[in-house]
Amino acid sequence: MFQAGGNSDEGLFDYLHMELVSTLLQPERNPGIHLSISTMEHLGFSSGYRLVERLTREWPRFKDELDSMKFICKEFWTAVFRKQVDNLRTNRQGVYVLQDNRFRHLAKVSTSGQYMEAAPKLVVFTCGLVRGALANLGIVSVVTAEVSAMPICKFQVQIQRASA
Amino acid sequence: MTVYNLYIFNKRGALLYYGEWNRWKHSGISQEEEAKLMYGSLFSLKSFVSKISPWDLKEGFQCYKTNKYKLTMFETPTGLKFIMNTDVNAPNVRELLQIIYAQVFVEYVVKNPLCSTQEPIISELFKSKLDEVVKTSPASVSKG
Repeated sequence: MFQAGGNSDEGLFDYLHMELVSTLLQPERNPGIHLSISTMEHLGFSSGYRLVERLTREWPRFKDELDSMKFICKEFWTAVFRKQVDNLRTNRQGVYVLQDNRFRHLAKVSTSGQYMEAAPKLVVFTCGLVRGALANLGIVSVVTAEVSAMPICKFQVQIQRASA
Repeated sequence: MTVYNLYIFNKRGALLYYGEWNRWKHSGISQEEEAKLMYGSLFSLKSFVSKISPWDLKEGFQCYKTNKYKLTMFETPTGLKFIMNTDVNAPNVRELLQIIYAQVFVEYVVKNPLCSTQEPIISELFKSKLDEVVKTSPASVSKG
């Protein structure tokens, strides 16, 4: 009768993430804790950096950038969200767009325009997570997210070339 | 078989949500007043039932019936109360309330960082999922 959304450690990650988000949204409820969007992104970055270390331990080196991105879309996303990225697009000039049609942190919030103003705060941790993972694979990038209709989320990864 | 309406109260007695499907007669008082009256009556009924009972009760008060309607209450260990009015013969209302709790309330309120269990629920996704569950339940689908 009582079906949980998944197994218990997934739930725990969800609740921890929710607390981070609500600390961001309602700073008055948690006096003494100053969390900003960029701190949250940084938390994601270091988590992603560590996580990818563990996830790739059985893997050979990746051939190229695209190979690493495919790893993020498949293995990394599955490890974090129990699903793969639904769509990966690239312009072959260092810009990749990862689209998740049912992004976990948005799926329980809304399927309409409601709560749209909170969307940036719900996705920023994951932006950091992706940036951190790529950084540890030797790819310096800027990751931004775009939510035009919940629960669809597009993450745009812009690779920073050393020469540029 | 019809479902008339649903009240959700938190453990402090605050009305979190009120949903209505087939209600033809209104109480003539404001919704806020009505919710207080409902909570108060159930509070008294609960203590009445447990005091009068000749046995130790596991669950306590669960439902009452009149000639025209049946009120079913489901209370969680955390003190949330789900109260549904249905017609007298509606089957499995208690199961329906448990489903509403586990598959709608927990999923779309507890797991939504923008909802709190101290304030009325305004999430549209919650409302639409609730409508879906209620409309497809055996309690509101007529047997033909």
